[in-house]
Amino acid sequence: MKPIVSVRNVSKLYHVGRPLGLRPSLREALTSFVTRQNGHSSDETLWALKDISFEAQPGEVIGIIGRNGAGKSTLLRILARITKPSNGEIDIYGRLGTLLEIGTGFHPDLTGRENIFLNGTILGMKVREIRRKFDEIVAFSEVERFLETPVKHYSSGMYLRLAFSIAAHFEPDVLLLDEVVAVGDISFQKKCFDKMQAVSREGKTIFLVSHNLNSIQSLCTRVFLVRSGRLCEGENPKQVISSYVNDQLPAAGGLNKNIN
Amino acid sequence: MITLEKASKTVSQVANDANSSPARTAVSLPEEPLIKIRAHRRWAAANLLDLWVHRELLYFLIWRELKARYKQTLLGISWVILQPLLMTIVFTVVLGKLVGVRTGVTPYPLFLYAGLLPWIFFSNAVSNGSQSLVAGSQMITKVYFPRIIIPAAAVGVRLSDFLVASVVLIGLMKYYGIPLGWPLLLAPLLVIHVTLLALALSAWLSALNVRYRDTGTALPVVLQLWMFASPIVYSAELVPARWQWLYELNPMTGIVEGFRSALLGLPFNRSSLIASVVITLALLIGSTFVFGRMEDEFADIV
Repeated sequence: MKPIVSVRNVSKLYHVGRPLGLRPSLREALTSFVTRQNGHSSDETLWALKDISFEAQPGEVIGIIGRNGAGKSTLLRILARITKPSNGEIDIYGRLGTLLEIGTGFHPDLTGRENIFLNGTILGMKVREIRRKFDEIVAFSEVERFLETPVKHYSSGMYLRLAFSIAAHFEPDVLLLDEVVAVGDISFQKKCFDKMQAVSREGKTIFLVSHNLNSIQSLCTRVFLVRSGRLCEGENPKQVISSYVNDQLPAAGGLNKNIN
Repeated sequence: MITLEKASKTVSQVANDANSSPARTAVSLPEEPLIKIRAHRRWAAANLLDLWVHRELLYFLIWRELKARYKQTLLGISWVILQPLLMTIVFTVVLGKLVGVRTGVTPYPLFLYAGLLPWIFFSNAVSNGSQSLVAGSQMITKVYFPRIIIPAAAVGVRLSDFLVASVVLIGLMKYYGIPLGWPLLLAPLLVIHVTLLALALSAWLSALNVRYRDTGTALPVVLQLWMFASPIVYSAELVPARWQWLYELNPMTGIVEGFRSALLGLPFNRSSLIASVVITLALLIGSTFVFGRMEDEFADIV
């Protein structure tokens, strides 16, 4: 069967020691240019991702877990087109939605209504589409009464609900989520869960990076473990999660039991 | 850009993964990928057509700045008019009255305002535009859209300021009894011209500023010098004949002179206009390559 996302031999190289990456001044760049000409450089490299390949089918919910710095977010950022891979190719047969942060581009001085249009277009929606879904977005976010209030006066919960609601109604074919569902109160988390399950039932594909192994376990149909830039996939989510936990906490049988 | 509408017309396929539930609906996938992600290329040009494809986003980014700017101000939109107006008054007193600069038949205040208007637009657009990517780093690192939209939006904000301040110019022309003639129709073309020049420099400098933050430090100085190297507060005729060719290589010379000629019905200086068009196009093409080459790594280094 034809995949909706096809990732072939993707690697990402970061230059760690190069002063160019660290907001340098022009002078530093010129001096480092000279040193490079001499055949020396302080260039240290790091493969944040190494030779990643996989295919994702419509309707899959793919959890990505791993230690901090293992390369989970890099993988998500490459899929989101925020940064380019150093090698490899990715084909995506559908529309892509990204929610790496709640409320990207929100302006605190603008009202809820204004921010729905602003954030919606930033995420890639057409104005026509936002108008059509406007009532739904507002209803899901439960901020009807404060639509004309600048979002800087919103409580963090209201802000979050509005932002998630906009992204959830984008209806992309592939949705990338970074740890965003872990926020909000329990009733809203439940709502987000239900929404994500509904979205995947419609045949959409979801990638979810999270440290919350419980939500990964209950939502995902597949789990990838990223370990120093490489991808490991076991037979089933349960097995991947427990091998990750055992990796992390060799002696912590208790936690392992917990998620099983 | 391929739209979703196109995608839905293609072969229908049914999703059935290991975990499929009976309620799962059919999914149609397009033949060709909508999104192709390839490794960083050394020679890639930013696509200016993206500005048209993503015009709604461009519009909302401009609208956001304008809306937010006026939410908590007392004088609101009048600031846009006050800047050229106050500068006109200061230069009229200092250079017109005290020094006694001559500008032929045109009254000096009108001469000044007609020159300051495109200059202030250009200068504000370039200085805001060059900071725009760094200022928008929050967005750049969190969501994808063609990055060229960010400096373009900064230019767009200043373009709207320019259009507002133009109303005063029309008032001044009426006051001084300048007849509205056919050459006025050339003014919109010159506005497009100066917008493209500002866009080219904004794209170029904003990309540079992501890497080298001293770009933003040096720019105000450069712009200040540039203003006095352009015929804003004095007439280009004051420049000695043997230096005219060099003077006309400044693209703002052709634009400001042309703008003034169109408004006030003065003769056009063709050579400076042509030089300006050529240099603007060259900068525009150059900037798409610089931008295209650097935009892949904005999110990594901003």
